[in-house]
Amino acid sequence: MSPNASDAVGRAERRDTAADVPRRRRTPVPVRQAVVLSGLAVGAVVVSAASWAGTPVTVGNVGGMVVVGLSLGAIYAVSASGLVVVYTTTGVFNFAQGAVGMYWAFVYWELRVNRGWPAPVALALVVLVLAPLGGVLLDRAVMRRLRNLPLVLQLMVTVGLMVAFMGIAATQWQGDRGRTVLPFFGHTGSFEVIGVTVTWHRLITILVAAAIALLLRLLLFRARLGVAMRAVVDSRSLAALNGANGEAVSATAWAIGSSLAAVAGILIAPESQLVVDVLTLVVIDAFAAAAVGRMRSLPWTFAGALLLGVGQQFIRRFLSFDDGFANMHEALPTILLFVVVILLPQAQLRARGVSAQLARRTLRLTDVKESTVGVAALFMLVLAWTGGTLPFTDAWSSVGINRGVTMMVTAIIMLSLVPLTGWAGQVSFAPLAFAGVGAVIFAKITGDTGSAYGLVLAAALTAPVGALMALPAVRLQGLYLALASMAFARGFELLFFTQTAVIDPNRGGRQFAPLSIGGWELTGTGRGYLLALTVVFGAMVTGLVALRRSRWGRRWVAMKDSEAAAATLGINVIETKVAVFVLSAAMAGFGGALFGLQVGTLNVLQFELLVGLPIVLLLVVGGVSLPAAALFGGVNTVLFIVIKDRWDYSWLSALEVLGPGIMAVVMVLNPAGAVAEIGRGFARFLPWRADARAAYAAEVAANREPEPGELGLSRPFTAADMVATERALSVANELARPGHDGAAAAMTVERPAP
Amino acid sequence: MTRGDADSSRARVGPVAPVLELHGVRAGYGQIEVLHGVDLSVAAGEVLALFGPNGAGKTTTLGVCSGQIRPSAGSVRLMGTMVNGARPHALARAGVCLIPEGRGIFPNLTVRENLRMATYSGVAYARVEERAFEQFPRLAERRTQLAGTLSGGEQQMLAISRGLATDPALLLLDELSMGLAPMIVAELYERVGEMAAAGLSILIVEQFAQSVLGVADRAAVMLGGRVQQVGEPESIAAALGGAYLDGH
Ligand SMILES: Nc1ncnc2c1ncn2[C@@H]1O[C@H](COP(=O)(O)OP(=O)(O)O)[C@@H](O)[C@H]1O
Ligand SMILES: [Mg+2]
Repeated sequence: MSPNASDAVGRAERRDTAADVPRRRRTPVPVRQAVVLSGLAVGAVVVSAASWAGTPVTVGNVGGMVVVGLSLGAIYAVSASGLVVVYTTTGVFNFAQGAVGMYWAFVYWELRVNRGWPAPVALALVVLVLAPLGGVLLDRAVMRRLRNLPLVLQLMVTVGLMVAFMGIAATQWQGDRGRTVLPFFGHTGSFEVIGVTVTWHRLITILVAAAIALLLRLLLFRARLGVAMRAVVDSRSLAALNGANGEAVSATAWAIGSSLAAVAGILIAPESQLVVDVLTLVVIDAFAAAAVGRMRSLPWTFAGALLLGVGQQFIRRFLSFDDGFANMHEALPTILLFVVVILLPQAQLRARGVSAQLARRTLRLTDVKESTVGVAALFMLVLAWTGGTLPFTDAWSSVGINRGVTMMVTAIIMLSLVPLTGWAGQVSFAPLAFAGVGAVIFAKITGDTGSAYGLVLAAALTAPVGALMALPAVRLQGLYLALASMAFARGFELLFFTQTAVIDPNRGGRQFAPLSIGGWELTGTGRGYLLALTVVFGAMVTGLVALRRSRWGRRWVAMKDSEAAAATLGINVIETKVAVFVLSAAMAGFGGALFGLQVGTLNVLQFELLVGLPIVLLLVVGGVSLPAAALFGGVNTVLFIVIKDRWDYSWLSALEVLGPGIMAVVMVLNPAGAVAEIGRGFARFLPWRADARAAYAAEVAANREPEPGELGLSRPFTAADMVATERALSVANELARPGHDGAAAAMTVERPAP
Repeated sequence: MTRGDADSSRARVGPVAPVLELHGVRAGYGQIEVLHGVDLSVAAGEVLALFGPNGAGKTTTLGVCSGQIRPSAGSVRLMGTMVNGARPHALARAGVCLIPEGRGIFPNLTVRENLRMATYSGVAYARVEERAFEQFPRLAERRTQLAGTLSGGEQQMLAISRGLATDPALLLLDELSMGLAPMIVAELYERVGEMAAAGLSILIVEQFAQSVLGVADRAAVMLGGRVQQVGEPESIAAALGGAYLDGH
C-alpha cells in the first residue's frame, strides 16, 4: 500500500507539469450515477407513499406539475451550467454563483422597473454586457489569484464573494420594499394545452434553457474557443504550448458563467421574491444539479436540474407533511446535494500548484506559557473595561456588556473550527448548526434550572451530531466536504430547527434561567457572565494550544497535508477525522448553549446557514489555524455592529455581511491571515522572542537595496546586486551586457528599436 | 507577439542570427535554482541534440525556451529578439513549438479536437489535418476517438504531429522516446528527420543518444544545470557512454 499511495500523491501533484495520465474510468461513472439516482427514486417513492396528500391525479394537476417543475428546473439548469463551465475550465467552484445571479436580477429590476427601460434593452444590457464584464472583472481581480492558493482559501474567498455580493445588493437596494419583477408578458399572459395552463414566462424560461443547452453544446464541441476551454481542463500548460491564451480562456468562462447566473436570476425573480437572501438561496439550490453532473457533465447537470424542479413541484402538489417538515419542497435540493455528494464517485480533485505548497510559510507554534500570559492579559483588559476604568468606555452600560458577550460567544463558536478546519483541513460551513443543537439541548435539559451541568451536557450531546456529519463525510475532501457541510447546515435550518419539539415558535419569553455556579447567579447579559465567558474562552484557547502540540494535534495536521501519507504512517484516518469532527461539534454545541443563555429565547433564524457564513469567514480572515484568530473574529463581528450603530449612514446598513465578505475576498492578497501578520509584527517586541527579532533583521536586510559605497568594500558583489544596481541606474535593456553572468536585468520582452 | 513579428525580425537581423540563443540563463522553481548559467544556440536549419542524465535540467531549459519558466538572469533570444518573460502562448504563436515530456496531448479531447488546438499557431485546420494524417495515417483512422484511449505510440504521434504540421520556426522535442517501443521511436524520428531535411530548426532533448544520432547535426551535454560540452553527435555520444550510460 505505502509505495503506491505516495506514488499516487506524487503523480497527482505533478499533473500539470508532467504528462496527463489518461482517465479510462469513463464508463462506470454514468452507471453508478444511474444506480444512485434510481436508489434515490426508490426512496422518493417510499416517502411519497407515506405522505400522499390525496390530490387527484388528473391531467391538469400532473401537467401543471410538469410545466412549473420544468420551468423551475430550467432555471436551476441555467445557473448550474454556468457553475460547471467555470469550474471545469478554471478549477474554481464559484460559491458566489447564486449571489451573482441575485445581484444582476436586482440590476435588471433597477433598469426595467425602477427606471422603466424597455425589457429587451434592459435584458440585453444586463445579460450580454454588464454581467459578462462583471465576470471578467472578477476573474482579473480575484479569481486568477486563487489558482495557487490552498483549497480552503479558494473556497473561503468565493464564499466571501457570495456574502459580499449579498452585502452590496442589500446596501444598494435597501430594505424590503416589496420589489417585484413582472413575468415576461405579465401574469395573465398564458395559453392552454390539453387543459394545462402555461404562462408565457414559463414557456420562455424552458425555451431559454433549451437554447442555452444547445449553444453551450455548440460552443464546447464546435467552436475552437470551446475546444480550448475543454483542453484547459486537461492541461492548462499544454493548451498554452498550443498557443491558446489560458487567461483569455478563463476570462471567457467567467464571462459566460456570470451571464448565465444573470439569466437564471432574472428568470427566477418573478417566480420568487426580489429579496437578497431568498434569491441567493434559490440560485444556490442549483449546486445540487451541478453535483448530479459531478461538476463537469453538462447533460447530467441539466438532468439533475429538471429532476429537482419537477420533484419540488411534485412535493408541493401531491404530498403533505407535518408542520415541522413543511419546508420539504424547499429542502429537496439540499437533500439531493447531500446524498449525491456523498454517494457519487467524485471527480478527481485538481492538484494544487506544487510551488504554492513548497513556498508555504510554516507558522511557529505558540506554547502554553505564552498563551496563558496572553489569556491573562485579555482577562485583565476585559475586567478593566467592564469596570469602566478604561477612558474611552461607557461599558458598564448593558449594551456594552451585551456586545462583549456577543464577542466572546462568537469567538467560542469560532474556536470550534480551529482544530477542524485550521488543523485537520476539513472545511465546514455548519458551525452554527451545531451551536443551535447545543443551545436546544441546553434549553431542554437544564435551561429553566440554570444548572451548569447543562452546559457540559450540551457539549457532550452535540458531539454525536458531529459524528453524524463526519461518518458520511469521511470519504469527502475539499470542495465536496464543503458542499456537504453546507447542505447539512441548510438541512438543519429547514427540517430540524423548524420542528415544534425542537424550537417551539409559539413559546415566548426567556427559555433560560440565570446560570448558577457555586452560589453565583449569572444572567446572560450581566458583567459576571462576560467575565466568566472570558475565563472560559481563555481556558479553551490554552487547551487548544496544548492540544495542537499533542499527538492528536500532530495527527490532524499530518492528515491535512496528505491523507494518503498519513495513512502510510499508520494513522487511522477515519478515527482521526471523526475525532476532530466530534471535538468541533462539542465545542460549537457548548458555544451554542452559552449563546442561548445570552439571548434567552431561541428561534429558527438564529442558526441559519447564511447567518453562520460571516462567522466562518471572519475566523478564516484571522487565520483559521490560530486560536487567537477566534478572538480577532469575535472582535470584528462586534466591531461591525458598533460601527453600524455609531454612524447611522445608510451605506453601512449591511455592514455585518459586507464587511466579512470583503475581508474574506481580500484574503487573496494575504493568505496567511491577519493574526499571523499582526503576530509577526508584534513578536519582536516580546522579550523572550529573540528568534522573531533575528527573522525581522534578516527580512530588513534582504529588502534593502545595496548601497553602492558598501559594495565591493565591505561586501562582495553578487549577481543580485548587479541586477539591483543596474535597475537603480536604469541601464536600458539594450545596453545590459547579455553575456555577463547574472547582469542581464531585462525581464520583459524586448524588441529591437525600429 | 505574432507570427509576423518573428518573421520580420528574422528578416531584419539577417540569416546570421541563430533561431534560438540562450546566454547565461539561470532559472529554477521558487527559491531553488536549477539552471546555473546555460549557454546554447540553435542555428537556422540546424538540429541540435541535448543530452543529459535525469535531473540535469533539460526539461527546465525547454521550459525557459517556451516561456513556461521565466529566467532569473541571462537572455533568451528568438531570431535575435529578446523574449525573456514572454508568455508561452505568445511564443507558441510566434513559432516556438514544444512537444513536452510525457504525452503532450489532451486525453479528453478527440484526435480531431487535439489537432484543432494546433490551429492556434495560425495554420488552417484543413492543412493541419492533411499534413498530420499524411505523416501518420494511423491517426486518420482514429480521428473521432478520445486521445486518452490511443496507444502510447499513437499518442506520441498525435503530440508531435502538432510540431510537424504547423511549420514552426523552432521545434523543441522533450524525450520523445520515453516509454515507447524502439520501432515506434524509429518511426517518429524518421518523420522528424524528414522535417529536418526540409530545413526545420529543431532542439531535441533525449537521455539516450542512440535514437537521434542519424538526425542531429550537433550535440550538447547538460550536467547539473550547465551545458558542459558541445560537439559532433558521434563523439559526444561516445563520451556519454562513459559518463552515464551503460552500453546503450
Ligand atoms: N516543478 C518543479 N518544482 C521543483 N523542482 C523541480 C520541478 N521540476 C523539476 N524540478 C527539479 O529541477 C531539476 C531539473 O529537472 P528537469 O529539468 O526536469 O531535469 P531533466 O529534464 O533533465 O530530467 C531536478 O532536480 C528536479 O528535481
Ligand atoms: Mg526531463
